[in-house]
Amino acid sequence: MGELIVAIALIVLSVLIYTQTDDLPSMNESQLDAGSFPQFVAIILGGLSLILAIKQTIVLVKARQQNNETSIKEQLLYIVKEHKLVFITLALLFLYILAIQILGFILSSIIFMIVTALVIGPRTKKSIVTVSSIAVILTLSLYFFFQNVLQVRFPTGVFF
Amino acid sequence: MFDLLFLGFGEIFTVKILLVIFIGVVVGVVAGLIPGFTVAMAIVLTLPLTFGMEPVTGIAAMIGVFVGGMSGGLISAALLGIPGTPSSVATTFDAYPMAKKGEPGKALSIGIWASFLSSIVSLFILVTIAPQVSQFALKFGPWEMFALICLALTIIASVTGDSIIKGLIAGLFGLLISTVGADPIMGFARFTFDLDVLRAGIPFLVVLIGMFAISRLMQSLEKSQLEKDRLERLNEDAAEMKFTLKPFQTLKKVISKPMTLIGSSVIGSIIGAIPGAGGSIANIVAYDQAKKWSKEPKKFGTGCEEGVVASEAGNNSTVGGDLIPTVALGIPGSAVTAVLLSALMVHGITPGPLLIVDEPNIVGGIFVAFFIASFAMLITQFAGMRFFVKITQVPTHILVPIILVLCVVGTFVLNNRTTDLYILLAMGIIGYLFTKYKYALAPAIIGVILGPIAELNLRRAFMTDPDWTLFLSRPISLTFLVLTVLSILFTIWQTRNARKKAQA
Repeated sequence: MGELIVAIALIVLSVLIYTQTDDLPSMNESQLDAGSFPQFVAIILGGLSLILAIKQTIVLVKARQQNNETSIKEQLLYIVKEHKLVFITLALLFLYILAIQILGFILSSIIFMIVTALVIGPRTKKSIVTVSSIAVILTLSLYFFFQNVLQVRFPTGVFF
Repeated sequence: MFDLLFLGFGEIFTVKILLVIFIGVVVGVVAGLIPGFTVAMAIVLTLPLTFGMEPVTGIAAMIGVFVGGMSGGLISAALLGIPGTPSSVATTFDAYPMAKKGEPGKALSIGIWASFLSSIVSLFILVTIAPQVSQFALKFGPWEMFALICLALTIIASVTGDSIIKGLIAGLFGLLISTVGADPIMGFARFTFDLDVLRAGIPFLVVLIGMFAISRLMQSLEKSQLEKDRLERLNEDAAEMKFTLKPFQTLKKVISKPMTLIGSSVIGSIIGAIPGAGGSIANIVAYDQAKKWSKEPKKFGTGCEEGVVASEAGNNSTVGGDLIPTVALGIPGSAVTAVLLSALMVHGITPGPLLIVDEPNIVGGIFVAFFIASFAMLITQFAGMRFFVKITQVPTHILVPIILVLCVVGTFVLNNRTTDLYILLAMGIIGYLFTKYKYALAPAIIGVILGPIAELNLRRAFMTDPDWTLFLSRPISLTFLVLTVLSILFTIWQTRNARKKAQA
């Protein structure tokens, strides 16, 4: 099922790219303009994805005929259980990226590392201490290394 | 040929660069031995640290990480039976049984020597072949370059992943990613979909960090993965294993099997030079071949010395092979060399057939850095083994947040743009979906880095002469295109055959 969705998404993407290229300006001197190469790639990508989609549909139909498919609800439940931590971590990463611009690099990195480690790992006292100290030391050393050696300015946020 | 080496020695032999290579090797070994932390990840995260350095120093640091990483997988493979990186899968077949039989020290020492000696063999192959290849490539016009890139991408697509069609889709997807942003000839902004984030394009390294590091970390967070990981940890404790390394006795053992060593190194170098095929394939193929050549194939898998030599020589010699197309043609064979090339570009050096002519000191520096890194690897592995063994067990819940922060820092440092961080997240999710549905990541990555070069050459070809039949009438270009079609047909034929065999 998922395979089919990916293939369809790729077809949509190729169509989107192909139609978008019409708006691009072209010059008369050259045979190929800014849109030609992407169009060329999009056609092949769309074609291959179509073949893949058809293949996957055949597989799906066959599976349905044999009636050995588990119910959709069960499948979804399995997916959620199996990937719970993946979803949470990605959400945390998104919040972290937002927070960098508001709280600044130092604060948000420390918080992100501690929270993520505790979400994934055990929540014992010992682990909180280890994780917090790693978070603080790593963040500060990164900050000072990049600031002083490579002259990179990290976002400071509203507090500093 | 040797003048390049002389130039390289002059570049590399400063205390600072030697130290940098040494540190790189240590970082690489550590990355290689922690399961879940790959060499590609380590090298991607090293790159931002090298921005402030001279080009040669930066490249030297990354080659150190590369060489160290290839040999680091050995430790967890031999002691725990878990490949620390995908490149050491076959190492577990014989090194682990040998360690279990009570000779972990012997297994490690043989592995280290095999890694070192095979690196030297592959360096020799690199130094002799790369200049010839680039000499030949100087004759290439835009037609040939475009055809060559087509060939490289189809080969990558056919050697990696589930099926060739998925490989090709991944490669094309990579090409499309590279077209976002300014077009290479006139500078029009393309496919921004009115999003400010995309206006500057999608930086190659952000794609790389997202696809290789973030998606890999997400995989290790799946419930079944965590469960497996926990069980493996309970099983053995490498830190408590006692062993003694015997560098000199084992050196004799390895040298007494020159055929296995050289054969495996040559196989590794050839596989390394094929775009897309790297250490993980060479490791297994070299092991397999050594078994076929052996007079006593039954011994393989029970902890025999040839098995360890073949598998470790196979994966380490891919480094030299991988550098051949990278240096001579500007076409990277793996994610790792793709990072190396982009590091050159960051420093304003254009990779391609002209690299050896224009920047001989850089190329010589790469060769010599590889040489020094092999020595540094030998020394670090023998001297630091006791320490390395202790860190095979960094728990996932500490590793993941640390590397995520390093990814974010690395991405930010590239361009000082917070908008790139959203691209990073998106690429991480796309990369994760790719691996979930068994699309290989390597073709996508190589597609992203070769995309602009392919487009530039295609358009140049048409600007020079609008006649498209030139692609077919120029002999070298025609050869590449024929090989492209053949490589697709061959893979389809091969999978058909395999399927028939499976059914029969």
